[in-house]
Amino acid sequence: MVVASDIHAGFAATVERRPDATALVWHQETTSYAELAELAAKARAEIEALGLDDGEPLAIVAHKSPGTVARVLACLELGRPFVLPSPTLAESALAAVLERTGAARLTDGVGFMLTTSGSTGPPKVVPLGHPAVDRFTRWAGERFGIGSTTTVLNYAPLNFDLCLLDIWATLRHGGTVVLVDPDRGADGAHLRDLIVEHRVAVVQTVPMVYRLLIDAGASAGSSAGAGAEGLDDVEHVIVTGDALPARTLAELPRLFPRARIYNVYGCTETNDSFVHEVGAGDEAPLPLGEPIDGVEALILSDDGEVIAGPGSGELHVATPFQTDGYLDPALNGVKFFDRAGTRWFRSGDLVRRTADGRIVLEGRNDFQVKVRGVAVNTAEVERVLLDHPQVAEAAVVALADPVAGKRLHAAVRRAGTDRLNSLVLRQHTADHLVQAAIPSVFRIVDEPLPTTSTGKVDRRSVADSFTTGPPEGASQPATPPQRWLTLRPSDVPKTQVNRQGE
Amino acid sequence: MSNVRAIKDYVIAEFAPDVSADELDTDLDLLKAGIIDSLGLLKLIAWIEDHFQVSVEDTALDPDNFRSVTAIETFVETAPRQRVEAG
Repeated sequence: MVVASDIHAGFAATVERRPDATALVWHQETTSYAELAELAAKARAEIEALGLDDGEPLAIVAHKSPGTVARVLACLELGRPFVLPSPTLAESALAAVLERTGAARLTDGVGFMLTTSGSTGPPKVVPLGHPAVDRFTRWAGERFGIGSTTTVLNYAPLNFDLCLLDIWATLRHGGTVVLVDPDRGADGAHLRDLIVEHRVAVVQTVPMVYRLLIDAGASAGSSAGAGAEGLDDVEHVIVTGDALPARTLAELPRLFPRARIYNVYGCTETNDSFVHEVGAGDEAPLPLGEPIDGVEALILSDDGEVIAGPGSGELHVATPFQTDGYLDPALNGVKFFDRAGTRWFRSGDLVRRTADGRIVLEGRNDFQVKVRGVAVNTAEVERVLLDHPQVAEAAVVALADPVAGKRLHAAVRRAGTDRLNSLVLRQHTADHLVQAAIPSVFRIVDEPLPTTSTGKVDRRSVADSFTTGPPEGASQPATPPQRWLTLRPSDVPKTQVNRQGE
Repeated sequence: MSNVRAIKDYVIAEFAPDVSADELDTDLDLLKAGIIDSLGLLKLIAWIEDHFQVSVEDTALDPDNFRSVTAIETFVETAPRQRVEAG
């Protein structure tokens, strides 16, 4: 039987009552609710013509467009589960996702199947039940005032869980979604124009984007000979996905003078779990905030003891919005467990509870870092580089970058003396991992990489060498000479940002 | 043809300084291969406007126009020249 989705029901109600209302804005063109319903009807016919079995999932490659949104709506209407693979996945990674979802038997009531970033091997597929997604879109609508007259900016790629708020909660409640083309996502002036022109009321994105907006506002202000104008129509600003740098936090209230600003913590598996509303006098790092209604949180020490008072440990959460587990149950082992009748998710985030009860993020308990808002595992990038036959040693470190958050730097010792260049290694990385996992800077050397006393590659020393230059007295290999290869500009046009962190 | 050389030289100098001009295939997908990311694309476009004195309209900001050395060359050939401001 078809399990109804509130997203589709809400969408259909708006089609009925206000067919001419704008559902989507994309590349300066608007799509009304009636037009989107027409696209969805065509998509529905296409899907039905495929002759899939009941419950067999459909893959919708998540190219951002009204057509893709319509396909998702068609699946929601048909009660057909669907997976949204990232369009930036390499063919081999995409094939792996499709193979696993194609072979899956899904429990009744699964709609969205999102994928984790794919930086830790093939992306993990996260099936979400309609009830969980419905609870989330209801909560998001109430918490951030998303209703029939609300315009929401969608920055995230369509395969990201953030779209459950930006796009799907908004269409459920009859609002308007302004879709940002990911290819123009680094253009702060463009983003600013979209917000102003379409009178966007809700913005949810990663800290990097707020930095781009602040810089775009500053340059617009200085060229006009006046102070930058604030974005007055914005009422709710949601910061998520990464720690907000102090400088960006300080400037946000001026950029959004009328908005309430929130720091939201969540992940694909559980969706949002904590909200902190920023108040005057808040300093970075912002606390995670209060658990959302219905969310439970546990801090556990290394040996599994519950940390009830002040102290540090790994954060575990249970939310009304979460998945029951990965599509491949074999992956659930360390990430999900049952305890006292509750299904808990192990976040992988180390947190500290302060004496006044606030929970603050301390870092990852592994090699997980965020690059342009995407979770990347540096150990996995190293593993992929080491798979290349001409690579003898590899160390990947994430260094702070004011715009990207973190940029990956790779030091590679080549095997033999064959010509090995950054093009080859980039292509190799691109073939196996998502784009954010491709190191920004490569250094290819013939010298052994520095090691710790236990014989492991000393990543700290590698990181230091990238910030201070090659170690003095390092002997020069015969061919080619050791040299520094900065393969991506660390400056954005009009903004000088290539200062060292700190 | 001379444009191809200039474009190659720029891409190499800016994004892949350890690579020789011969090693950079003019049809290589620079975006997919991770050589140019979204920040790099903005920088590349600024250079194209400046170096070739062409106008890159917002409507032309399709990444497909800048996907490879060949694509950039085609774009430069067909892009409108910048108007010289009088006075």
